[in-house]
Amino acid sequence: MSEPLKDNNFSLETRNLSICYGEKQVVRQVNLSISSHQVTAVIGPSGCGKSTLLRTLNRMNDFIPNFSMEGEVLFQGKNLYEPSIDPGDIRQKIGMVFQRPNPFPKTIYKNVIWGPKIHGYKGNLQDLAEDALKRAALWDEVKDRLNDSALRLSGGQQQRLCIARAIAMNPEVILMDEPCSALDPGATARIEDLIQELRNNYTIVTVTHNMQQAARISDQTAFLYEGELVEYGATKKIFTQPEKKRTEDYITGRFG
Amino acid sequence: MKRTQRKRKERLFLWLCRGATFLAVGILFILLFHVVREGIQWLDLQFLDNFPSRKPERAGIKSALVGSVWLIGLTALISIPLSIASAIYLEEYAPRNKWMRILEINLANLAAMPSILYGLLGLAIFVRYFDLDRSLWSGALTLSLLVLPVIVIAAKGAIRSVPNSIREGAYALGARRWQVVFFQVLPGALPGIMTGVILALSRAMGETAPLIMVGALSYIAFLPEGPSDPFTALPVQIFNWAARPQEDFHGLAAGGIIVLLILLLTLNAGAVFIRHKLQRYK
Repeated sequence: MSEPLKDNNFSLETRNLSICYGEKQVVRQVNLSISSHQVTAVIGPSGCGKSTLLRTLNRMNDFIPNFSMEGEVLFQGKNLYEPSIDPGDIRQKIGMVFQRPNPFPKTIYKNVIWGPKIHGYKGNLQDLAEDALKRAALWDEVKDRLNDSALRLSGGQQQRLCIARAIAMNPEVILMDEPCSALDPGATARIEDLIQELRNNYTIVTVTHNMQQAARISDQTAFLYEGELVEYGATKKIFTQPEKKRTEDYITGRFG
Repeated sequence: MKRTQRKRKERLFLWLCRGATFLAVGILFILLFHVVREGIQWLDLQFLDNFPSRKPERAGIKSALVGSVWLIGLTALISIPLSIASAIYLEEYAPRNKWMRILEINLANLAAMPSILYGLLGLAIFVRYFDLDRSLWSGALTLSLLVLPVIVIAAKGAIRSVPNSIREGAYALGARRWQVVFFQVLPGALPGIMTGVILALSRAMGETAPLIMVGALSYIAFLPEGPSDPFTALPVQIFNWAARPQEDFHGLAAGGIIVLLILLLTLNAGAVFIRHKLQRYK
């Protein structure tokens, strides 16, 4: 598999990105440059368009019938929405972890290898599964029951399994859509630790409504409000010296 | 006072519901009891191994039993792939517009159509137009038409009940649509589809009217050797016996009903078993 482009500062970029669901505009003129091998958090109140924005980055919005967009999404310099691009190819390189853990109703092992398998992975699937599960910090808990149903795992384990499933594809970017919102504090802490480690190998974009979480885990933070990108910069700066009044109001809990 | 009144209403409602349940089940049991009492004396291996005869003591249901098995097998072969494919198209591919809604309403209507109409259709199309004559093909194709909407509706429901999060998870791994449908949606929907298939085939197994329309004979003293042969089926044989004036033939009809019921129960038990196996990972 190809090496991530380390010399390229930006893995993903949106240019004047606007998104509509039917008549309703959800995202307005967003310009966002996401750095490679960093954790970028998108924060903002419910309904501000952060999930929508995230799902545009690997074309998961294609399935929504009245979805329409303007502008560009560049991945390694190429526009993801060019007609010649196959969204299936894109999603192999830009994986996604969802709000609720959604393991397939299959065994733990089959969950991990399903992606590589359908794409005709030539290597050793068992090694691949072990590696992915180790990277997702799940191996020790499941190594003796790889052939158990994934649905018997706890919520936190299921979510780590979903991360392992994404990792097994050897993606360059992993998008996470509020990956901890359905988990208890203990499981959340484990996922947060995991995200810290994954940063070394993957570019991570995570959406969260939990500001403390964004502050803890991310390098860059983007604050989205009513579909507009209010402020974007280093997490430390956003949380200590925000430039915009609205950002300050939000992170100090005056609304949201 | 108000409290006792409320309680009384509660009781009344409970007894109404309970009564309705017992009435329905009770009538079924009375029917079963009668059938078994009348038919049990005719049930023996000879009954299963003999061809129909004018003499009740020598009459059996061999040709009808074999005919029914042929018929249901062929019907399953024709209708299951067709209806699952239609259900997949309707649920996963078809655009959601006015025409599709009209199509779906009509599908539901088709499922509720009197079966004799399918018989007429089968007679016109398969027996006459395609010149399949009174063969197993004609019978099975007609029954397939009959069960198709039933299976399609059940399969559609089963496919719809596969959570969208599974599809999203698969797409997020770069899966193509057919891979998502084939490897994730279909296995997830299979238990539900199986239930629909079995219910529909059970219904087909008991159908008499359309088979009589397409010319299933009631007196057949040989076994079909292939799908182009003429045939008879259990319900047709039962109908024929029940229509005769002699007492003994009524007993034979009851015996035939018992065999048909046992066959249906076996089919349903098989379905439950398969369902259970498939649901291991749920």
